[in-house]
Amino acid sequence: MNENETVIRVKDLVVAFGSFHAVDGVSFDVHRGEIFGFLGANGAGKTTTIRTICGLLNPSAGTVEVNGHDVSSSTAVLKPLIGYMSQKFTLYPDLTVRENMNFAGSLYGMSPRQIAARAHKLMEFIGLPENIPDPVSHLSGGVKQMAALASALLHDPELVFLDEPTAGTSPQTRVAFWALIRRLAQLGKTVFVTTHYMDEAEYCGRIALMERGKIVAMGTPEELKKEFFPVKPLELTFLHPVQNALRAALAQAGIASAVFGNNLRVRAPDRAAFERATAPFRNDFTVCETNPTLEDVFLQAVSGRKKA
Amino acid sequence: MMFSWRRARSVAYKEYKHILRDPFTLIVTLVLPLVFVGMFGFVIDLDYKHMRVYVRDNDQTSVSRRFLQEVASSGYFNLTPVHGQFQLDQALQRNDSPALMVIRSGFGRRVRAANPGEPGQIQLLADGTDNVQASIMGTYLQGAVQKANAVFARDNPELADAAAQAGEQVRSRFLFNPELNSRWFIVPALSTIIIGFLAIVLTALTVAKEWENGSMELLLSTPVRPAEIVLGKLVPYFLLTFFDVLVVFVLAVYVFRIPFLGSFIFYMAACWVYITGALALGLVISVVTRQQQAAIQFAFAVGLLPSFIFSGFIFPIENMPLFFRYFTALFPQRWFLLISRTVFLSDAAPATLATAFGAIVLFAAAMIVLAVQKFKTDVEP
Amino acid sequence: MPALRAQVRGVSKKMGRAQALRQVDALFDAGKVHGIIGPNGAGKTTLIRLLAGLLHPDTGSVSYSEGGQKFSSAQAKRVTGYFPQEPSLYPDLTCEEHLEFFRDLYALPQEEFEPRARELLQATGMEPFKDRAAGKLSGGMYKKLGLMCVLLNRPKLLLLDEPTVGVDPVSRQELWDLVYGFAGENMTVVVSTSYMDEAGRCAQVHVLSDGQMLASGAPQAVMRQFGVNDFAEIFLNHERK
Repeated sequence: MNENETVIRVKDLVVAFGSFHAVDGVSFDVHRGEIFGFLGANGAGKTTTIRTICGLLNPSAGTVEVNGHDVSSSTAVLKPLIGYMSQKFTLYPDLTVRENMNFAGSLYGMSPRQIAARAHKLMEFIGLPENIPDPVSHLSGGVKQMAALASALLHDPELVFLDEPTAGTSPQTRVAFWALIRRLAQLGKTVFVTTHYMDEAEYCGRIALMERGKIVAMGTPEELKKEFFPVKPLELTFLHPVQNALRAALAQAGIASAVFGNNLRVRAPDRAAFERATAPFRNDFTVCETNPTLEDVFLQAVSGRKKA
Repeated sequence: MMFSWRRARSVAYKEYKHILRDPFTLIVTLVLPLVFVGMFGFVIDLDYKHMRVYVRDNDQTSVSRRFLQEVASSGYFNLTPVHGQFQLDQALQRNDSPALMVIRSGFGRRVRAANPGEPGQIQLLADGTDNVQASIMGTYLQGAVQKANAVFARDNPELADAAAQAGEQVRSRFLFNPELNSRWFIVPALSTIIIGFLAIVLTALTVAKEWENGSMELLLSTPVRPAEIVLGKLVPYFLLTFFDVLVVFVLAVYVFRIPFLGSFIFYMAACWVYITGALALGLVISVVTRQQQAAIQFAFAVGLLPSFIFSGFIFPIENMPLFFRYFTALFPQRWFLLISRTVFLSDAAPATLATAFGAIVLFAAAMIVLAVQKFKTDVEP
Repeated sequence: MPALRAQVRGVSKKMGRAQALRQVDALFDAGKVHGIIGPNGAGKTTLIRLLAGLLHPDTGSVSYSEGGQKFSSAQAKRVTGYFPQEPSLYPDLTCEEHLEFFRDLYALPQEEFEPRARELLQATGMEPFKDRAAGKLSGGMYKKLGLMCVLLNRPKLLLLDEPTVGVDPVSRQELWDLVYGFAGENMTVVVSTSYMDEAGRCAQVHVLSDGQMLASGAPQAVMRQFGVNDFAEIFLNHERK
């Protein structure tokens, strides 16, 4: 098993619904054992891309290869390799976790004995008791998500797609879930995950930022921060209430700012311009450099694209 | 805070836009009554024709023969005479006829004597296993008897009074449907049921829909009041269903050629009140259930079932046990059906229907009050 | 036209079988941007609905005042704007029709409505989309439309339940900008969020976990109080205990 082996290769992918291009010329590679994060707003084209890679939608143009097979022509070969946990909850709420797994396993043609052995291992891996007597609808949000993951992993797929697996769950669940994702990657599984929590994206090996069907930035979190913020953003703390006047002055100079309570975060690559714009308020705030977040990166990438 | 017409109007206007932009609801509302009324009107024909009846004429006079002639000419009966006990036994063994008619000896003499205390008698032995057919046969035969009476009176003017008297009781049953045509009963009755039910369903969905798509929460955070929402929801659907009423009316009168003998204004007024009551009932359901699926189930239970069972549409109310006769009074369908039938088929003065009209007014008022009362102004479960 | 101050005292509230709030105390100072921070199921929506007057506390009280003058709940409700978390607009009505509908619900005179609507459309950048049906708006635009509808009436207390959930970072930024653009002397804003990284955007945070108010104050002060570097840690530590 080669570490740098390419598992997914997407080239110039376009997926159009009528005249609307949900995915509009996207290219990227994902390697074995990688945690690849796909970031973007609802409607940016993340789910459409995933569905195309899983063979649920056909590309309008471009190619998608998984393990060297073209997905649109070899769906049957690829399906057993892929585990997909969809954005919407996919377990039957009136069945128990185990009953759900029995059903999911039978869809992949597993024997009851295989299912039992696999379920035992998975529940241990995930850290859930093996036989929860309650139907899924009675379980807490976190346990449900874990159970859905177990169900997606049942047939031991090489490639795991997780579409917003942590949406709406508690910080505890998110931490536990990401720990599992990391362990999956260590086991050599390729994990393709979408999220709109920017702070979670930090856990990914590489991320692609998607906006209106296009990838606007791609790389490791550190690479992206360096690329978009050669100069660190500033954090201003106000001593006097001049917030609105100062923001207006910054906007005039074309400098983006965001209010954070009593603070202002300023993206100012051109320090001289910042000094000029804020000169009249020099005594009304203190300023310090701060580390860029992926949210800053996203904003910068999108606004840069809008200007271009 | 006072009731605001402006807010009520804005709710109505919004609802009107929802209706216009949802072609499915619009089509169902406009086409369904047409389809149903048309289908029932054309297809369902409850009239039994050419029913085979064995006849044992023990009288064998010109009067009895003349009577049988009249019965046969009605077209409802195929009369097969049987003579003597042997033939009768054979006929009964063949079991191919629903009825046996027996004319007793002395029938002719009695009719000619025209003594009201001692009328001519015919016996009809009907097969009770098909009770619908048996009862229809009974009523049709009475119609034929009445017709024969008239013929007899015409032929024997000296006996006219007595004959007219004898026919009086029978005649009262068929006065308004002398051709015994079931379509005449069905079309006006059916229009009531379909439109009334549609009205309940339409409004039963609206409030529940607002709960389900979350807009109710936003709406309740504004100054809008329950009465304004209720009124605003009633008006557009009232117009829509009233349009249905007019369409069905035109269909009944001009396509099925049902005579409309009563007061048009009174009928329309009754329709307005009835529809309002049905729409308000739908709102009550919607306000209470808050879920479209539950609302639909409720609407079927309180809208459809009583329409058929307790309205007198299928089972005549006068034949019901005493408890149910009073129980049916709770359902506006019963009263409106009475109004609808009467106004279509007789020129009875509206005053004779005062009770029925009062009942539907009371129902509508009660439902509106209930809808407003039950309307929650918070999101407590 | 100063802003409304809301105070919650010892409020407990059961929703169905779950105890949604337990003895919650919170003060929402006039004219500030308040954040109710907590994971899903912490009781944020219940608290906001209580403030909106759409729920009634089982025990405890919610009181409102303006510049020291008491407001009854009915009076307060009239000057409160609330936009729920769940989609609550009419998918088949356009933006403009929504604004007109809310104009009538709030009984605004046309001469007051027109400049206000223009101002809101401009501030939100929704002017080009005013003829688009709400059901065809993107997540961010949908929230902006909802915000416009409730802002029409110039509320003194604005309650926004998770306005940024499922919204892209750019729209999220725009929504926060709008909130700060309209907040101030005349409006108190209460925003709930389950994005821990958004806590820092509020002037005051109220940290809610499992129906209990863990802390209230300026974000930096709250983090100092717990000795943590971000808000997610507060919940993780709380869980461990």
